[in-house]
Amino acid sequence: MPSFFKRGKQVKNNPNKKDGINHNLPQPLNISLAVNLDFINQKTGNSSDIVIRTKKIGTHTQLTTAVLYVEGMVNEQSIQDFLIESMMNNSKDLNALGPQEALEKLAEDVVSLGHVTWVQEWDALFLSLMSGNTIILVDGVKKALNVSTKGGEKRAIEEPSSQVTVRGPRDGFTESLSTNTTLIRKRINSPNLWVESMQIGRVTNTKVAMVYVHGIANDKIVNEVRRRLKAIDIDSILESGYIEQLIEDQTSTTFPTLYHTERPDSVAGNLLEGRVAIIVDGTPFVLLAPAIFIQFFQAVEDYYARFDISTALRFLRILIFFISIIAPATFVAATTFHQEMIPTNLVIAIAAQRETVPFPAFVEAAMMEVTFEILREAGIRLPRAVGSAISIVGALVIGQAAVQAGIVTPAMVIIVSITAIANFATPSFAMAISARLIRFAFMVAAALFGFYGVILGLIMLILHLCGLRSFGVPYMTPIAPVIPAELGDTFIRVPWWALWRRPSFISSNRTRKGKNKHPQPPRSRGIVNTDMEQGDRNES
Amino acid sequence: MNRKTVFLILFLSVAFLSGCYSQKELTDLAIISALGIDKNENGRYVVTFQIVNPGNVAGGQQVSGGAQGPPITAFSVTGDNLVEISRKATTRLSRKMYYAHANLLVISEKLAKTEGILKLIDAFDRDPEFRNTASIVISRDVKAADFVKTLTPVDKIPSNKVIKTLKFSEQRWGRILDVNLQDVMKSLISPGKGLVLSGFRLFGDRPLGKTMQNIQQTNPLVTIRADGLAVFKDGKLVDWIEGKNAGGTLWILNKIKATDVDILWKKEKDAISYQVTRQQTKVSASMKKGVPVMLVDVRAEGGIGAVKVPVNLNSPNVILAVERALEKEIQKEIQGAVQHAQKDKSDIFGFGEVVHRTDPAAWKKLKHDWNDAAFPKVKVKVKVDAFVRRSGLRNKPFLSNFEK
Repeated sequence: MPSFFKRGKQVKNNPNKKDGINHNLPQPLNISLAVNLDFINQKTGNSSDIVIRTKKIGTHTQLTTAVLYVEGMVNEQSIQDFLIESMMNNSKDLNALGPQEALEKLAEDVVSLGHVTWVQEWDALFLSLMSGNTIILVDGVKKALNVSTKGGEKRAIEEPSSQVTVRGPRDGFTESLSTNTTLIRKRINSPNLWVESMQIGRVTNTKVAMVYVHGIANDKIVNEVRRRLKAIDIDSILESGYIEQLIEDQTSTTFPTLYHTERPDSVAGNLLEGRVAIIVDGTPFVLLAPAIFIQFFQAVEDYYARFDISTALRFLRILIFFISIIAPATFVAATTFHQEMIPTNLVIAIAAQRETVPFPAFVEAAMMEVTFEILREAGIRLPRAVGSAISIVGALVIGQAAVQAGIVTPAMVIIVSITAIANFATPSFAMAISARLIRFAFMVAAALFGFYGVILGLIMLILHLCGLRSFGVPYMTPIAPVIPAELGDTFIRVPWWALWRRPSFISSNRTRKGKNKHPQPPRSRGIVNTDMEQGDRNES
Repeated sequence: MNRKTVFLILFLSVAFLSGCYSQKELTDLAIISALGIDKNENGRYVVTFQIVNPGNVAGGQQVSGGAQGPPITAFSVTGDNLVEISRKATTRLSRKMYYAHANLLVISEKLAKTEGILKLIDAFDRDPEFRNTASIVISRDVKAADFVKTLTPVDKIPSNKVIKTLKFSEQRWGRILDVNLQDVMKSLISPGKGLVLSGFRLFGDRPLGKTMQNIQQTNPLVTIRADGLAVFKDGKLVDWIEGKNAGGTLWILNKIKATDVDILWKKEKDAISYQVTRQQTKVSASMKKGVPVMLVDVRAEGGIGAVKVPVNLNSPNVILAVERALEKEIQKEIQGAVQHAQKDKSDIFGFGEVVHRTDPAAWKKLKHDWNDAAFPKVKVKVKVDAFVRRSGLRNKPFLSNFEK
């Protein structure tokens, strides 16, 4: 065994085996176009989606130029209209110029596209070519022109499927980073909304943007997020989940320590509380840091609905969380250890059901829970066309037939169903799935020790939660450590006119709005009435 | 091994070495709903266990095929003490005896009269499973065994029937008392408060009560009825209080929640029925020449429930007269109860405790012989303030028109 691990380490440390990409010093471009194009073809393995278009410009000097881009990654319409056509039309102007001047002329006058830069090294050239820019090479020049023509197919902005609201905006993030930053900036029209871009992933070179509101976000947290992002050294980032796992504070936990959402309004709201958003190109899921426990029970709609309704719903969600964690455990504990705690008539009813069931309560509960998890997993994975088959099998076979066959009791079916429904009602999927997992641990604890085990489990759970950190912020803030002034937006949500501070544990700028902005009707209803009367008189 | 590994091993051994020592599946439990205690001719205890048969009680789905059996099974075990009996009973059962849902303890009149209940209580009080809130009743003229084995309609589990009867009859009729184990112990150790328990009788052909026939008829062959209050002295049953005297007892004990008082009106007996809806009784004591004088101050409020004779209930004077008559009637009930208790020499009203509170010094002298010497001589003044709050849906009885 030890030798096995050693070998593994050796492989890791081997400097020669790094993704097959040459990470030597930056190499400059060659002066000859033909050599350059050859090198590109060789480097890209003659990939068929790289379009190389050579053409001669100028009527006398016959400068050979090449336009390169990757098919599908660019906005071909704009290349056609503003680059190639423009080069054709201005061909005469380039007549008397040498290659260097011609390229400069191209950059300054001819190319009528927004963003034009120079590249001199191969690494930079490939990076911009692969990210959807167009490269213009001219024979006899050791530089290339890099024109921003990013485009290609994009999904339209749709309603997010994971966090649906009744009231609230309907737009959701897409897979395009630029669309996503736009959606945020549309909501926060301030120069203080800062976007820092970087590329992570040695092979994928995925664009990652760090977004925060300067002056509201805590600089320490911003720096920490930046430091952790810069420290990532991995070949690929295909989804924000990669980043989440690479920058979280604690890895040995089932609880999410970064919040992720598909909703731009949720991101905007969190940015204004001082959080930092991490947007990854290629996924609609945006990360928010730091995350606290109570945040996962707050739906965006809470801030749009009246405060009393939101508060009631938040209490409901906390209840739901406990149900989804300990409902089956409580049932197992009560029916196998603490029958005295169940009202007499109920215990007789449950006993009657259990008479014919051959399994102990724990086995029965575990069986049903696992069955349900299988059903649920199947429901997610199966092709949409056979969806109805699952519901038939699930409802009839697992529910009705299992009871009639005397394998499970109806009471257990009720418990498992209420647990499942409660789990679905948790607003954050990450939190729900975590509850799903620890539920089984609680069931085992209940089967071994009864309520004693359940309570032990809850104590351990609370200790664990209190020990978690998200970017240095204790996970249970502001409940533990308790910050009384910040409790207004936790289990309860105080009305907006009273919510005049940002959370101090996240934001450095605490004043959200002026004090005493309690809405007040005009002093006297009479004024309103007089105005109306006068209006009437004028009309007549 | 580092600390983490040690911790993990310790943690796992806690989980797996301890096992599930107190784990008990529902299918391994015999849920006992009631216990009946008798004494046989040889002076040994006979305990009858009423065990719920869950499959036959719970409605809804009928899982087991076959005929519907009785909702309970019952059997008697003989032994010298209760613990022995409870262990011995396992020879008759396939399951573990489970006492946590036993909420009724039936003691036979014979046992209560001869040996008393003092010796029985400890075993029940000491047991962690048995509830202190279980009700205790006396089976009158009948063996506790027969009582516990009798099937009842409506409430399928007989113990439930008895407990509900106790609860609702106390609430609506006010002539029986629901007394639980805790109350019994409190009364037994207090020198200034005697014990009363409710009695139940079986009516009908007793052996038939144990058959399913009993509950398959509209008119059950054997019925269980609450009847009278048993007066205890020094833990032994001495007498029964019945009828209006039982009502008077509850008035003094401040236990009346609602009841019915009928008064004489224009020479017609029980002409006006008064429904008490609210009641409060305060008992106070004063000492006169070393003899305690009790003042029972009753305030009752209620409405007219029925009128057999024409009365003009519109008139305040008539209402006042009705109230006076009611007060007299209630006074009579209470005095009857007091006389009865004084005759039995058992202070079931807790007058001694009141004396103790008002004059601790005098109580010290009185308490040694309170029940036998002082209590029977206590003078009881009863002051009743009855109030007619409303007269139902009408004022004038429709009979007043009929007269003409």
